[in-house]
Amino acid sequence: MIRSEKAFLRLVLFAIWSAAVLSSFVYGQSNTNTPDFSGAWGPYRGGRGADPKLAAPPATPLAMKPEYAKPYEARRAAEAAANNRGEPLATASSACVPYGMPSMMSVAVYPIEIIQTPKQVTIIAEAFSEVRRVYVGKPQQKIDDVPPGYYGRSVGRWESDTLVIDTVGIKQSVQYQRMPHSDQIHIIERMRLVAPDVLHDQITIEDPVVLEKPYTYTLAYRRMPDYEMVEFVCDNNREYVDDQGVVRLRVREK
Amino acid sequence: MTVPPARIFSLAMLAAAVVAAAGTALAHHSFAMFDQTKQITLSGTVSAFEWTNPHAYIEIDVPDEKGVVKHWSVEMGSPSILMQSGWKFKDLKHGDKVTVRISPLKDGKLGGLLVQATLPDGRVMGNGPGRGPAQPTAGAPNQ
Repeated sequence: MIRSEKAFLRLVLFAIWSAAVLSSFVYGQSNTNTPDFSGAWGPYRGGRGADPKLAAPPATPLAMKPEYAKPYEARRAAEAAANNRGEPLATASSACVPYGMPSMMSVAVYPIEIIQTPKQVTIIAEAFSEVRRVYVGKPQQKIDDVPPGYYGRSVGRWESDTLVIDTVGIKQSVQYQRMPHSDQIHIIERMRLVAPDVLHDQITIEDPVVLEKPYTYTLAYRRMPDYEMVEFVCDNNREYVDDQGVVRLRVREK
Repeated sequence: MTVPPARIFSLAMLAAAVVAAAGTALAHHSFAMFDQTKQITLSGTVSAFEWTNPHAYIEIDVPDEKGVVKHWSVEMGSPSILMQSGWKFKDLKHGDKVTVRISPLKDGKLGGLLVQATLPDGRVMGNGPGRGPAQPTAGAPNQ
């Protein structure tokens, strides 16, 4: 009798353990090894005092299909020439339109803030107060079922110490470095701590229509433990676009 | 002329940093509308200090050499970027006397990008990280 009670107890304990493991797998909830990315993060810059081992590795070559590469290069050249003339061409941000994905992950020196819970990782960019939500453990939808937007739909899963984020549904006007993309764009991020206070986000852009091969670049962030995020509402935009498409600054008369 | 290896290394690091910054950093706008090869100094009276996004502004009335007052708009970084270099939202107010060094607009309008400001209390302030008064022309090209 005692022997069978022990066996029963063992069975119950095994069932509880199995359920925990299974639910952690299903919901992407972390085990005790899951790192905590919560907090504010600023760009980790190379140069003096920085550890070169923690700096972001270089991007892969950008391999765009010829029919997209030509207009892209022409646009870049026109942009550079316009800048040299002091007449920069309009961009979405000239009108205070947010950057969207993946550009919002690195805007000048502005920090991002990560709020991590087992089921959702929320990323807030200080510049333009952009917000994206990563649903941890949820399955991704088909690209064609996601309405195109600035941030798309992001789902995440933990692979050991790495949060792998899958994003689809980026509208075509939302471009990274003016790179064109189709409605089939698919962004995969691998986010992990390379040191206790240094986070890397390896961003891969896949687009079978526009790109010959996926394009990968990495962003490096440093933890800013005491930083309080600053409000950013674009309510004093003095830029305007003239009838030549050139960005001008509106100055006051008095 | 020989260049010490340490100098070559630091130049290489600088070049790498500039390339890395150009590859990933975006900013609200290109600063190409300002002539950053030029700097002019203006002394005048603040009519408004706008602590706003995407940029803060100092509005300033400046008498020219004949005593005729002209109005200038001086663009700064954003509040977040300015705070990282010690600026506070109350550092200037209507009526304050201020001296600013700016890179003027290329189109000839009376406006420019702040390089440094000398506040009424004597403090000399830059325009955000990498744009401090010690290195007025420093900073990533696309910030």
